[in-house]
Amino acid sequence: MSMRALCWHDVNDLRVDDVPEPELVNPRDIVLRVTMTTACGSDLHFIDGYLPTMREGDVIGHEFMGEVAKVGRKVEGVEEGDRVVVPSFIGCGSCGYCQGDLWSLCDNTNPNAALQEPVLGDTTAGIYGYTHAFGGYAGSHAEYVRVPHADENCFHVPDELDDEQALFASDAWATGYMGADFCDIEEGDTVAVWGCGGVGLMAQQSAALMGAERVIGIDRFPERLRLAEREAGSETIDYTAVDSVVDALKAVTGGRGPDACIDAVGMEAHGTGPAHAYDRAKQQLKLHTDRGEALRQAIVACRKGGTLSILGVYGLMDKFPLGIVMNKGLTVRTAQQHGQRYVPDLLEYAAEGEMDPSYLATHELSLEESPRGYDLFKHKEDGCVRPVFVP
Amino acid sequence: MTTQPNDTSLATADESATPSSRSGSGPTGNVGRWDRLGSAALGGILLVRGLRKRSLGGAAMALVGGALVSRGARGHSHLYRRLGMNTAGDEYRDAGPRTDPVTVERSITVGKPADELVPYWRNPERLSQLVGHFADVTTWGEDRYNWRVYGPFGQTIEWDAQLVSDRSDAEQSDGDQPDATHSDDDLHWETMEDAPIPHDGTVEFRPAPGDRGTEVTLRVQYDPPGGTLGTAVMRWLDVAPDVLVGTTLRRFKSLAETGEIPTLEANPSARGAGDLI
Repeated sequence: MSMRALCWHDVNDLRVDDVPEPELVNPRDIVLRVTMTTACGSDLHFIDGYLPTMREGDVIGHEFMGEVAKVGRKVEGVEEGDRVVVPSFIGCGSCGYCQGDLWSLCDNTNPNAALQEPVLGDTTAGIYGYTHAFGGYAGSHAEYVRVPHADENCFHVPDELDDEQALFASDAWATGYMGADFCDIEEGDTVAVWGCGGVGLMAQQSAALMGAERVIGIDRFPERLRLAEREAGSETIDYTAVDSVVDALKAVTGGRGPDACIDAVGMEAHGTGPAHAYDRAKQQLKLHTDRGEALRQAIVACRKGGTLSILGVYGLMDKFPLGIVMNKGLTVRTAQQHGQRYVPDLLEYAAEGEMDPSYLATHELSLEESPRGYDLFKHKEDGCVRPVFVP
Repeated sequence: MTTQPNDTSLATADESATPSSRSGSGPTGNVGRWDRLGSAALGGILLVRGLRKRSLGGAAMALVGGALVSRGARGHSHLYRRLGMNTAGDEYRDAGPRTDPVTVERSITVGKPADELVPYWRNPERLSQLVGHFADVTTWGEDRYNWRVYGPFGQTIEWDAQLVSDRSDAEQSDGDQPDATHSDDDLHWETMEDAPIPHDGTVEFRPAPGDRGTEVTLRVQYDPPGGTLGTAVMRWLDVAPDVLVGTTLRRFKSLAETGEIPTLEANPSARGAGDLI
């Protein structure tokens, strides 16, 4: 049996192909019929060729939900026909990290640990539809996807929620929520968020939900800044319209700087000054993997003793100003998303109407149209925040 | 028979290593330029051949290929260091007769008590699951095992091994006090006569601090074959045991903690069904 799936063929070359349908392999697997799946900004890093260990023909996509189609013999609590949302990082639920609610650090779900270990010194959890160093599992931009350790990774979606309301709990919402959770927000706190894409907007809304006095979103696209104002109630800074983001943040915080700074941008940051030109040139020459303009601004802007919450995806960045982090006594909190820790709460917020992330889904397309969806997403055309695909 | 590493400097380095870290000290270049290029080239060939090959040995071949590429990039060889070899000088230099066995040792912490973990290494079906990425293990007679390993260029290497001391048996028979550094559960095996690469191995089980379970160390010692082997095989031997020992431990941990081993079997892609890496 074959199915349709969006596959990576080369740098900036995505195609919808016929691929074999996934099967139940391990006893705790399910096969999920994907009902909605979305592009993530972190996909752009391997599409643009900045992350190694992609292979021609890989099925991509890691943020998804669907209906359970087949159930392995040792799965408990998940049945055929159940409507579930699945976090992008795969947890086993048994190892010390999963037991400690640090699911993206799971010891037991990356079959390619040997590829990752020489670089990281250890291994992360496996993830769907990403590089082979991160597991090599087939992704969700397909009619079906295999979900290992289903009892730990499938979360039932309340009937009253649409797919668009539950989908982003899989990654963007859980990631943004975790980034705000890292900030240990107290009364009167100001939280600044670099990036008003899916994760940045979710971080801003979550910070407001957690009681931040002020939330400030930073981006350059007018429609994204408007979304931050309208949906998250944020103040905004268009970084192309100010001489210095740091000065602008100091100006609105009485000279203190934000109490917490969240980086929701990552390795392909855009900037305006000479530092950005330097980063970009080095990245093009493959002298380093990261353009870290957003992260450096966050470090300089943050108040002394404040929190730096890093959600953006990075490679092996050089020119990281650790001396500023140290001298200002900043606390750095970071992780790939520990989705399983947050998804039940997020679905409850959605069901109670406290937060509705469905506005992120600016473009609904069929799977056949998904290469065009990635084009819109990458170039941020037509006000695209997130394209969602319905296989 | 000894279970201690013969090279004391290596033992010191290992003691300071954290669980799961490679044995040996920090890299210093001892692999020459041409050797490095050779490593990278051989690694690349193995990687590509291994990935293309949809067989049991393909995964091991590809993993080892990847490690060889990394050796080529780093310019450091643990095996060369242990053998006193250096190809980074002006010309190829061989330190003379190779008498010391080479030791590959890695550790992993598993969140289970030792008595639940020992059977994985004694039962041939379980053992076959653990090493299924590069070998088949069958049993003939008590504590005797036949190993079939898939080599770098399609050849199969085969040998017999025997569990020589089940420490708990030994202590019951001669009444020795338990050794402070070893638990009763440690296992030790040796290859039998005519093994192509004679070696012996040990699995040690120590309680981990707090409620972290058991620290399991897998140590394999082998006598490097004499100077008749080509450099390609030397390069293969340099990284293969380290990669295979590390991956075996990870598979063991996953099987013991979750009841299954993470796999890309039947994994869909535009290349077909199933991936080894």
